[in-house]
Amino acid sequence: MSSTNKLVAEERTQFGKGAARKIRRDHKIPAVMYGHGAKPIHITLPGHDAMMALKHANALLTITLGDEEHMALAKDVQRDPIKPVIEHVDLVIVRKGEKVTVDVPVHIEGEAAPETVVTTDSNTLQLEVEATNIPESLTVSVEGLEAGTQILAGAVELPAGATLVTDAEALVVNITAMISQEALDAEMAEAEAEAGIEHEESDADAEATAAAEGEGVAAADEA
Amino acid sequence: MLIPRRVKHRKQHHPGRSGAAKGGTTLAFGDYGIQALTPAYVTNRQIESARIAMTRYIKRGGKVWINIYPDRPLTKKPAETRMGSGKGSPEWWIANVKPGRIMFELSGVPEETAREAMRLAMHKLPMKTRFVTREGGDI
Repeated sequence: MSSTNKLVAEERTQFGKGAARKIRRDHKIPAVMYGHGAKPIHITLPGHDAMMALKHANALLTITLGDEEHMALAKDVQRDPIKPVIEHVDLVIVRKGEKVTVDVPVHIEGEAAPETVVTTDSNTLQLEVEATNIPESLTVSVEGLEAGTQILAGAVELPAGATLVTDAEALVVNITAMISQEALDAEMAEAEAEAGIEHEESDADAEATAAAEGEGVAAADEA
Repeated sequence: MLIPRRVKHRKQHHPGRSGAAKGGTTLAFGDYGIQALTPAYVTNRQIESARIAMTRYIKRGGKVWINIYPDRPLTKKPAETRMGSGKGSPEWWIANVKPGRIMFELSGVPEETAREAMRLAMHKLPMKTRFVTREGGDI
């Protein structure tokens, strides 16, 4: 279930990149809040608190703006690709009991059968759920599953009250057989030859070669 | 090795190296990734070398994705040649990588294995990089 986080926001009166940069310099985050046909409200969120609240996927936020309180979901979070900084947040206003469409992450649990590789094809599934009852993640168990098994979106267990929006035939988890050692060795040898990679002879290899040569010489002497 | 099958122009200008990546800055396929922190031209040999290092370490488990493609030719004039007489001949194929770009992704292995495999791969690349995970990790 999504956690509720309370954030105290301030209304923004200045816009544009200069004003936004000034807000970020003060360790705050420029944001916009909209929904239900109301006019968009431009706000400023406290930097650290907002960052902590947005660590959870689909966190339900309670935004206090003056005397008013709004429940909102983060619709879009713009992050700096390198620095751990949130640049802007789009919030969509929701009401208690309202159904919303959200992307919920898929979490894989358990160990598949030996000699298999588990690949997650869809990392999130789109669900229609109550805004106050959004699951943090969906768990898919792959315990003991054999190669060739495919788990489709329709087969994933959903929490009560949730409806699947993603196509039920969409592939979520694919379990395939591991590549054989011979095939891997052949592929690696071919790739290394093409790339011109040469292995240095290790001490163990050198000793083994010397021992083999010594045996060969002894056999020749005996003959 | 990755190489374009057919190109419209054999020789191109040097790609611009300023700015940050505009896309491909989050993990799209795997659970772990290598993210570029500085700009660089990555040759097809370096990409292949990094892939081999990773695949050798993870052995038969896991899956590797390469998110960059060396589609830009770089030319070089022969040694001891006077200036002029036209542009040199194509010598390398490179991917123009900018900071923030996720270059390789990996899944299907435990985090410690992925970290070590990617550490080995990072040593084959010509720029500063970092290990990133889907759960947040180092970001």
